[in-house]
Amino acid sequence: MTRSRLDAPFGQWIDRSESVDIRFEGKTYSGFMGDTVASALIANQQWLLSRSFKYHRPRGPLTLCGHDANTLVQLPEAPNRLADELPISEHRVINAQNYSGSLERDRNQLLDSLGRFMPVGFYYKAFYKPFGSWRFWERIIRRKAGLGVANLTIEPRYTDKQYLFHDIAIIGGGPAGLSAALTAAQAGASVLLIDDQPHLGGSLNYHRFDIDAAERAPTLNHLRTQILDNDNIRVLTSATCNGWFTDHYLPVLQGSRMYKVRAKACILASGSSEQHVVFRHNDLPGIALCSAIDRLIMLYGVAPAQRLAVLAGNDQAYLTALNAHDAGIAVCGVIDMRAACDDANLVTALQARHIPLFSHATVFEAHANSPGHQLAAIDIHRLDSHGAVTEHWTTLACGALAVSSGFMPAYQLACQGGARLSYDDGSALFSLTELPEGMFLAGSVNSIHALHAVLADGAHSARQALRHLGLAPVDSRDDGVSCDVSVNHPWPIFQHPKGREFVDFDEDLQIKDIVNSTRQGYRDIQLVKRFSTVGMGPSQGRHSALPTARLVAHATQRSVSETGVTTARPPVKPEPLGLLAGRRFDPARKTPLDQRHRALNAHMVPAGNWRRPAFYGAPQARDRWVQEEALAVRTNVGLIDVSTLGGIELRGVDAAQFLNRFYTFAFLKQPIGKTRYVVFTNEQGVVSDDGVAARIGADHFYVTATTTGVDTMVREMLRWNAQWRLNVDIANVTSAFAAINVAGPNARAVLDATDCSIDLSNDAFPYLAYREGHLGAIPVRMMRVGFVGELGYELHVPSMLAASLWDMLMNAGDPLTIRPFGVEAQRLLRLEKGHIIIGQDTDGMTHPGEVGLDWAINRQKPFFVGRRAVDIVMAADPCRQLVGFTVNSTCPQPKEGHLVIKAGDIVGHVTSCEHSPTVGGVIGLAYVHPQDAAPDSLFEVRTDQGVSVLARVCALPFYDPANARQAL
Amino acid sequence: MTVMLTSPIHSLPSTPIHGGLSLEDASLAARRGVRGRHAADHLRDQGLTVPPVPNQIVASGDDQWVMALSRREFWIINPQQLATAAMPDSTAIASEVWPLYCQHSHSWLILQGAQRADVAAKLCAVDLRSEAFPLGAVAQTQAARVSVIIAHHTNSQQQPVFSLFVDQAVSEYLWLTLQDAMGEFI
Repeated sequence: MTRSRLDAPFGQWIDRSESVDIRFEGKTYSGFMGDTVASALIANQQWLLSRSFKYHRPRGPLTLCGHDANTLVQLPEAPNRLADELPISEHRVINAQNYSGSLERDRNQLLDSLGRFMPVGFYYKAFYKPFGSWRFWERIIRRKAGLGVANLTIEPRYTDKQYLFHDIAIIGGGPAGLSAALTAAQAGASVLLIDDQPHLGGSLNYHRFDIDAAERAPTLNHLRTQILDNDNIRVLTSATCNGWFTDHYLPVLQGSRMYKVRAKACILASGSSEQHVVFRHNDLPGIALCSAIDRLIMLYGVAPAQRLAVLAGNDQAYLTALNAHDAGIAVCGVIDMRAACDDANLVTALQARHIPLFSHATVFEAHANSPGHQLAAIDIHRLDSHGAVTEHWTTLACGALAVSSGFMPAYQLACQGGARLSYDDGSALFSLTELPEGMFLAGSVNSIHALHAVLADGAHSARQALRHLGLAPVDSRDDGVSCDVSVNHPWPIFQHPKGREFVDFDEDLQIKDIVNSTRQGYRDIQLVKRFSTVGMGPSQGRHSALPTARLVAHATQRSVSETGVTTARPPVKPEPLGLLAGRRFDPARKTPLDQRHRALNAHMVPAGNWRRPAFYGAPQARDRWVQEEALAVRTNVGLIDVSTLGGIELRGVDAAQFLNRFYTFAFLKQPIGKTRYVVFTNEQGVVSDDGVAARIGADHFYVTATTTGVDTMVREMLRWNAQWRLNVDIANVTSAFAAINVAGPNARAVLDATDCSIDLSNDAFPYLAYREGHLGAIPVRMMRVGFVGELGYELHVPSMLAASLWDMLMNAGDPLTIRPFGVEAQRLLRLEKGHIIIGQDTDGMTHPGEVGLDWAINRQKPFFVGRRAVDIVMAADPCRQLVGFTVNSTCPQPKEGHLVIKAGDIVGHVTSCEHSPTVGGVIGLAYVHPQDAAPDSLFEVRTDQGVSVLARVCALPFYDPANARQAL
Repeated sequence: MTVMLTSPIHSLPSTPIHGGLSLEDASLAARRGVRGRHAADHLRDQGLTVPPVPNQIVASGDDQWVMALSRREFWIINPQQLATAAMPDSTAIASEVWPLYCQHSHSWLILQGAQRADVAAKLCAVDLRSEAFPLGAVAQTQAARVSVIIAHHTNSQQQPVFSLFVDQAVSEYLWLTLQDAMGEFI
């Protein structure tokens, strides 16, 4: 099973003492602890991992570091996971995805031979003619599109977020990042070092760097030891910095957590993406980047194949050949696309190992083995002096091909910050300029590639960051680091007459697709991207951006620097939505009586951001509980928790003046100890809130507001008084006071039984009066109110006394069989009384005249908020009127929101409707046409399933029109 | 009938103390607030020490702390003294000095332990590490989507703690959320 395993020291990340079995596509494969799914499969000669998106071509790992879409696999819990990132220690059952039949025999591979009928942009040109044909095609395309299958049955894993605060965030734990971290930390900075691999070191873990492989291991060990010993450095491995936002706000994903990093400076040591070579069948499994082959050998101790070839566009690729040879792998040739190698010593090293060198040549076509699942041979062709392919040189049999045409900076984060990526067509070098303030580059992202220069560049960037933070002298001399190592081949693109030279593996885009995009008029690289979808796959253009820019530049007779590359946006890598969501924060507000309600089996419902009892009892018998609770209030006594009512205190010599300007009514002469109804109209004349104002003292008012409106009211009060500059203190005391409404003909009897210090007689404490006193030892503020149309007392107490008050009232009311009632019964009771609820019976257009609040408008005073607008809208011809109505009991009961129809037009809607046991029928409130507002008028309500019901207008209130009961 | 002050979170399970990390409900401890143009002078006249600038908390007397939420709003908190069941003052204490109802409007949670800033960092965007948020600092911010006042001071054992004052209507929610955040540290 492990014939491909190399002996130590190769395989530094695996633990050979612990074998792990995984199931892939129903077969069992063995690997070692430390393997990824991809490395374990390749160790078992299973290069084929997936099928491509469009043509269903066989695909295997390209980068082996999670930077390509070829390794997307299906896990039981989630699709589209990268097999070269998945540790086999955590994932034992894996399947391939995006195939029909089996991975080896994918029936959809037929699409590969139909490729000529699916040119770039064919989606935009097909399927929509003739009209309506899209409906037919959509079904088929949706079935074919997409990759894995989402498991909708699994329990979502716990994810959360945490803030981290550091002086310097360093993205990339390679040699540049390690050097930068050490330099910064030794100067006293707090450093966060982030790397997306499980171990620090970056390319020091696998890249050879020099012919003798003398520098790599000692440098890595030295740096890593110092990093781990430094208390100023926090290391996050297997962590991806997925975006850069203003002021170095960095989302970093690690495991089940998103860190939201706040850094004062940022060093980008994110390295570079090795680039592939574009030739026919360059996507066959077994063809991988040189760095991927190095990783296989060095990290996982896996021989990629028995015979390996190397296609080089730079000197670095030679080191891969040396590495593989020294690991015991037969290197059948190095094909150099250049005329000569920069470092002649590398040629000598190849010769010493008897590795054939094919200079100024390229692989023109790759051939698959007989099942077509892995590379078997490569055709090598010579190149002419212009780099064009000429005659066939030879064919090499090999199971793996390592390719490298250069390195493109991992520019995404820098460009998200507004940096500009430039390319020098002459030297084939990249540069990032116009970096955001406080961002610095280090290492190969800065086009520095030689190890000693990379280390120096890391230290240099740290000193820049330290100076930016004021932790190092600003005037200290610190020259930048330069590097003359050339890594990029100028044109590693070799068009074949038969095509299938892939530029973008994610989207199955070939040379002709990019060129044809330009021929259709899409000259701008951004338009080419959108038309062809190049760079829009999971790899986000890491390997397609440069060849695309080159092809577009060539096709439009421009330079690459003129063409540019597409815009980089977050996220850098695909990210699970669960990580963005984090832990669910749902701060529902609860009254101090919440536990009392639950103990009484209340059915709790949301009311704004509060939880309130709808009724007491099982929800299946909702109507029964509501009717019984309402009946208890009408005939006996009930109590309801109204702590959610807003409470605002206004104190100061101008308090009355303030209320007089703010609300529609008059308050200057409101007597102390009296309450008064308040209505607030906004500057558009719309009824926005209501409540009651109790005058506690000459300079002291206690005002209630609606449950959902109080925050707006307080904000409006503060805003208006910022202009008026009245001497009044405005305090939101909603949470400081709880409130209980005791209502019903026996309400007074209940309170009398509580050792109440207040004279409750109608003479001493009449309707709409306000009093303060004690119930037993509990201090209370009391108001005589009549919202539900019965004798009622609203008791306001400090919140932490609410539970004691509730218990006292329940005990006192027990002999009278007092009954708690919920908001459903309260809504029914107030409906019987014809009282509106702001927000339910009003909307964003309701003016006072429409809802019968003319009486609450004081037109004698010169000003109140919204006065001018109220005058205007109420002077205009009304277009609707809120009325009370009844319907015949044999008709379907209208519901809130049902439309009122007149002559086929919508003229209003039902705002409230309920069956009233007191009235003995269905009653409701609805907006109707003014012509239909007179009592006994009939209007049409469109109910469920379009059934029309005739409703009859009734005079309000439905219950106790003389208002005798609330004044008992 | 006995009248008792009841904390909104009195029935919730407490957090086991582990490694010095603990969450305590101090909602029944005494606190009062004053606001107004002359509030600071009034407190000084009462012999209290007043922070020189807003968003600071200072010890005043044996067990009392004075917290400045603005130039004209102060809370006086006393973790060692129980609150009474009396109706809070509502009328002016002095010229343009108004009492506040913080005893009943806000619950008081105390988070203690070396990892208190790490716990808070899971809920709150403000850097509460001691380097950035030293003893005596106060932050009026949001934690887990609710408004909260966080004061950094010492307890009677001279151990640094975060006092968190949160609207009592969401105190149960914040208590459970904090316990959840503490889970990985205990």
